[in-house]
Amino acid sequence: MKPAPFDYRAPASIDEALPLLVLDSAVLAGGQSLVPLLNLRLARPELVVDINGIAELDYIRAEDGALRIGAMTRQATLERSELVRERWPLLHKAVELVGHPQIRTRGTVGGSVAHADPAAELPVALTVLGARYRLRSPRGDRVLDGADLFRGPLYTAREPNELLVEIEVPEQPDGAGSGFAEHARTHGDFATAGAAAVVAPEGHTAIALLGAGPVPARAEAAERALVDGAEPREAAALAARDVEDEHRRALCAELARRAIEEAMA
Amino acid sequence: MTGRLAGRPLRRREDDRILRGDTRYLDDIDPPGAAHVAFVRSPFAHARIGGVGVPDELDGVTVITAADLEGRARDLPVQGIEGGRVASEGHPVLARDEVRYSGQPVAAVLAESRALAEDAAELVEVDYEPLEPVLAAGDSEVALSEWRRVSGDVDGAFESAAHVVSASHALPRLAPVPMEPRGAIASYDETDDLLTVWVSAQDSHRQLAGLAAVLDRPEESIHVIVPDVGGAFGSKGVVSPETAVVAAAAMATGWTVKWAEDREENFIASYQGRGVEADVELALDGAGTMLALRARIRADLGGYLMPTTAIPGHTTAMLMCGVYDIQAADVEIMGMRTNKVPTGPYRGAGRPEAAYFVERTVDVAARELGIDPLELRRRNLIRDFPYETALGWTYDSGDYVRCLELAEELVKPERHSDDTRVVGTGFGMYVERAGGMFETAVAELLPEGRVLIRSGSSPHGQGHDTTFAQLAADRLGVGIEDVELRFGDSKEVPRGVGTFASRSVAMGGSAVVLAVDALKEKLRELKDPPPGIRASARFESDLVFSSGAYAAVVEIERSTGRLRVLRLVAVDDAGTIVNPLLAEGQVIGGTAQGLGQCLVEEAAYDEEGNPTFASFLGYSLLTAAEMPPVEAAFVESPSPLNPLGAKGIGEGGAIGTPAAVANAVADALGGRRVDPPFTEEKLWRALREAGP
Repeated sequence: MKPAPFDYRAPASIDEALPLLVLDSAVLAGGQSLVPLLNLRLARPELVVDINGIAELDYIRAEDGALRIGAMTRQATLERSELVRERWPLLHKAVELVGHPQIRTRGTVGGSVAHADPAAELPVALTVLGARYRLRSPRGDRVLDGADLFRGPLYTAREPNELLVEIEVPEQPDGAGSGFAEHARTHGDFATAGAAAVVAPEGHTAIALLGAGPVPARAEAAERALVDGAEPREAAALAARDVEDEHRRALCAELARRAIEEAMA
Repeated sequence: MTGRLAGRPLRRREDDRILRGDTRYLDDIDPPGAAHVAFVRSPFAHARIGGVGVPDELDGVTVITAADLEGRARDLPVQGIEGGRVASEGHPVLARDEVRYSGQPVAAVLAESRALAEDAAELVEVDYEPLEPVLAAGDSEVALSEWRRVSGDVDGAFESAAHVVSASHALPRLAPVPMEPRGAIASYDETDDLLTVWVSAQDSHRQLAGLAAVLDRPEESIHVIVPDVGGAFGSKGVVSPETAVVAAAAMATGWTVKWAEDREENFIASYQGRGVEADVELALDGAGTMLALRARIRADLGGYLMPTTAIPGHTTAMLMCGVYDIQAADVEIMGMRTNKVPTGPYRGAGRPEAAYFVERTVDVAARELGIDPLELRRRNLIRDFPYETALGWTYDSGDYVRCLELAEELVKPERHSDDTRVVGTGFGMYVERAGGMFETAVAELLPEGRVLIRSGSSPHGQGHDTTFAQLAADRLGVGIEDVELRFGDSKEVPRGVGTFASRSVAMGGSAVVLAVDALKEKLRELKDPPPGIRASARFESDLVFSSGAYAAVVEIERSTGRLRVLRLVAVDDAGTIVNPLLAEGQVIGGTAQGLGQCLVEEAAYDEEGNPTFASFLGYSLLTAAEMPPVEAAFVESPSPLNPLGAKGIGEGGAIGTPAAVANAVADALGGRRVDPPFTEEKLWRALREAGP
């Protein structure tokens, strides 16, 4: 469980980092996924670019009503943010379920997004909140929404020469409630299934499942049904209808029901 | 136990040092200039080896294969079982022309660091010709161990019985997962012909004996040092193939050689527990009296025999009458060769299997006969001791009725269901072999009236330093701080047996007390005893039999199948208790492992025989968050076989818990069979079959 040999650079700024990002480089943020993959020799980059020293990537602030999270913001910082807890409570509920406190102390918000594990909590919560993702390369910035960023399990639209720099979460509608429910074998273990929901009185509804598909995706049929007056249980069943295995389907439907009911409570 | 110290819930005095990190585990030992080992391990469950190719460009790297150890290392020795046959298929230290499990060591790569050794290990080319793997005991045609005993008129009892109940059960393989993985360091002094081996192990004695056998050297020429050990649960009992390779490599090269395994190696190559299935039949008369028992047990032993691989199965077989007065029994166990890592003793080591098979069958019988499961048990419990079972072991003492009564009283049984959940209660009783053979201790007078005890029994988490000091200080009439204990160094401690089978207090503790008594006797004879005066003792006894009754209340959620253990009661009779706090700690630790087996643990292999559990991604352990409230209580029936009246408490929790939880699950499911682990998917399907 020692990594295969690699070169290592630790740039101090985004500008220093960008030229280092090439085809066989890997970006080291909190290391909670990359380091195990290196140790198992499943990841064999030629160069590891450690962005832990880039202070300008570590911030949480509200700007024009939207929440802006620097990619190197630790999950524990997100968890402790009063701003987030008050105005984007779904993110607080989701981040509390990421691993254990030790993992959240190192793990970063951007790392979780860029790793794109469909069983991860933050990408699902961010999908439900309609987050957008800012990628920077030597050619400039581009901003993608979740549907464009998440391409498959552990696979995003980020080009090798791009760095995820910021996550932007729009202001939520007045009176919006949120819910997050997941199922893991043991406390802090990877979730085997889960669901996130935001429901607002004026007809805004967003629902997504965790671990039910290759990428976190909105359950649009369920959202429409709920807006049209369906019971949470019916909407939840719609959200889970495409899950193949019948037990997993039942599990996802139950978790979606809990998330929706929590959001409506 | 009455004494100033014995019987009191003293906190472990070793914990201060351990919690401060002032410990020295195997990997903390860093001999300068040591060669570090990484093993080339088979990626196939079964294959023929055509050859092992070592690339030329590996500068500064030495590769050792089976051919290099020809004449230097024999296969691991194999222990027999009483009344049975065990094949002579000891584990080769490195694979020769065949590999029989995924993860089997094929070559050892020695380099300046572990990282460089791993880099080089990737470049070693092994020519494998894959063969069809055998992955279930039922599919195997090769028995590595066989044992059968028939006692009493079994056929007659079954013919005349009013009821014959049959039940089948299967327990998956489990990974022991000690917090500290395995490891060894060896160095060889040619001048003195002395081999020194530091090894993370349960004791020095069995490592010494194992190395002497594998290397064909006299024991006096091997010095074994066991440093602090971060848990074992049975998995560090006998010498491992890797430890033997490290020792042989040190002798072959003259270097100091170090192997500190990683978590992945520990998962795939450490011997596992359980992996046993059974068909059990019970004959009862019209009043529910148990007349006879038949059991056909099959164990999935893996590709080779480790020295103790056959022992747990023998223990299971011998305990198949459980806590019941059954006069006739026909029990057979077949240990089958499969293409998986070998099994061996893991906390409980055969006893959880027996308790599970017997207690689940008793609940099936109660359901079929329409008798309350507690009443059926009460009608058949053994009440008079000593009691010789139909299978031939003699239970020394106990109060099974009291254990069961206490468990019932404490658990407050519940049984109900509604739209969202079903709730059930189950009981599981056990009797277990503990102690046996012998153990040793030497007591020595130090200056200022202090006493040093060298114990043949050594700790890897049990708390010897506290319990043994309690016993010695009481006997000597000194403070606990005046007693110092020393363990684990084969040149320091007297030759003993070791730490396993819940034997430390009954055997090691008794030896400590006898050594102290002998020292006192010597001191009485001397007017002015000089420091340095010593007395030694060797204590020997037959097996002692701990027992207990566990009870669990469980809830299963209809919508998901999720199992919650709402509460658990552990009543153990380990004879006289020396330290109730440490005893309770053992019960809770064992219970957590037993619950892990119920809820999440399974060392599963895919259809090609590759382990799917080789990290904590694939193998879960319970956390504190999953632990239900555990109420532990003790019944103390002193053993007549040792001066302390002690038995063993190290394994009761792991033995009683699975049986109790399984019976509670079956109760909640209306008697449906589900084998552990009780995953939400299995329970959800069982509930759907059962209907609302």
